[in-house]
Amino acid sequence: MTTRADFAAAADEFANRVLGALRGAGGTALVARHIDSAPDALAALAAVRVLGADTFSPHLLAGAPFHADDAAAVARSFDAFPTPVAGPSARPEERTVAAWRDWATTQLLGRFGGMDSPPAPPGPADDLTDTTDWQSWSVRMAQLATLATPGLDGPVHELARGAAFPLARGVTRSVLRRDFPTAVRLVRWLAWLAHEGVALPLDPAPVHEHVRLLGGASPRTALDLAVTDHLLTARTPEAVRT
Amino acid sequence: MTVPEPVAAAARSMADRALSWLHAHRALGALPPGTTEELADPDSVYKPLGETALAASLLLRDGVAGPGQLAAAQSLMEFTWDQFRQGDMLYERQLRHTLMTDPLEVYAPFVRCGFRHADLDRLLAHRARLRSVDGVELLPNRRLAAANAARVVGLDRETGRREDWDGMARATWLGARPEPWAINWITAYAMTHTVFHLTDWGRLPQGLSPDLTAYVRTWLPVWIDIWREVQQWDLVVELLIVGASLDEPYCRPEDWETIAALQHEDGLVPRDGDPVDDDPRQRFTDHQHTVVVTAVAGSIALARAAGR
Repeated sequence: MTTRADFAAAADEFANRVLGALRGAGGTALVARHIDSAPDALAALAAVRVLGADTFSPHLLAGAPFHADDAAAVARSFDAFPTPVAGPSARPEERTVAAWRDWATTQLLGRFGGMDSPPAPPGPADDLTDTTDWQSWSVRMAQLATLATPGLDGPVHELARGAAFPLARGVTRSVLRRDFPTAVRLVRWLAWLAHEGVALPLDPAPVHEHVRLLGGASPRTALDLAVTDHLLTARTPEAVRT
Repeated sequence: MTVPEPVAAAARSMADRALSWLHAHRALGALPPGTTEELADPDSVYKPLGETALAASLLLRDGVAGPGQLAAAQSLMEFTWDQFRQGDMLYERQLRHTLMTDPLEVYAPFVRCGFRHADLDRLLAHRARLRSVDGVELLPNRRLAAANAARVVGLDRETGRREDWDGMARATWLGARPEPWAINWITAYAMTHTVFHLTDWGRLPQGLSPDLTAYVRTWLPVWIDIWREVQQWDLVVELLIVGASLDEPYCRPEDWETIAALQHEDGLVPRDGDPVDDDPRQRFTDHQHTVVVTAVAGSIALARAAGR
């Protein structure tokens, strides 16, 4: 039986693999190899769902190849763990987050050949339009940090472009609360906004370095930090800027 | 309207009850018999007395409390003035310690309400002309405290010197418009005092420059949020004063109603989330400052709501 710890370990292992590929290490067929070599295939597939759109970051940011085997592996992860449907147990905002994360993954999967037609957005992001309660809104945006990547654009991104202040307040709040995993993800959104040329009330570079030093060493955090590095410094390969 | 009606309602309740508490418990803040200008521990009774006078002076200045509260404020001014021997003690302390700023700072609220001490006035005017006084190496927010006290006392007219408010503001932590995520508790207090003195406790909202006002408006919601979460009520109330003192006030009803709801029936506002002691003297020592700032916050918000 796959335990909670097995799932966490698999997610870390996959995050390290993606991170390595983002830094130019590793060979080909990243996702397929991750699944094939895993002792626990279910946990390995779950890890792909956990990383979501970040599975594609070596390809999007560093120009690494994305193979048909990889696309098939991502598709398998959706077969194993379908998008949760509406139920009494899931809160609406959790469903919104899950739906947008899956939208991001399937957008990229569709673009790179793993699906016949990418699905439509789950909605106009109505649950996310009101930033009055910027505290909980920014926490939800942190959960959607995998969307903060070049090559993805949609209703959530449009909201983010108009929400530099709530995002910057969310960064400040999470750093002061020493919630560094959330801070790392929100800084990633700030970096995405900077990459888009949106004016920010907060310089993202010093707070990025600050949360890097304090944010712990988990592989998934390291992956967020690496994407932020790219957004703040590297130029995206032109080929994938579709 | 820039101060919402629920905030004005909370502010009235906060100011009225806080002032009642300060008045009812004033004897606990009296100086020990035989106190002279030589204070072994100025922070124990002398400074709190000055803070009580400050709160009462601002209620009288703003004039927005009810008639009973204004009478209580006047009574507190007279009580604290008597404690300082109608200014003699402040005079003796300033005479003995030329470079200290606290006699001037404690005197300012009395001048605000028309209490004067002729010898102290003459001494302060003399002192204000000294390069030695001007050169004392104060922390930038403390320099603003002394400059605002001098402004209230009228020493700027005395010396004919124009204070460089902008330069003094730039020297503070706030003046650097620093990374808002790198603030800490003590620096937050320094920031609130920078705003208090530049605006003379809400009287001159434009005393805070437009760029610093915009900075504070951007980050104040975060700072209130995080110190509310850890129940640092004394600091939260100071942050509410900052919001009420901005050119366009930042006053969120939920924040004000939280403090109004925390306030005990007798007016006490707990300084933090720890249990409140039963001993009357300990209660006074622990929470007097929070009650003072609550009275100030309420008075300033009401004044702003009334368009003053």
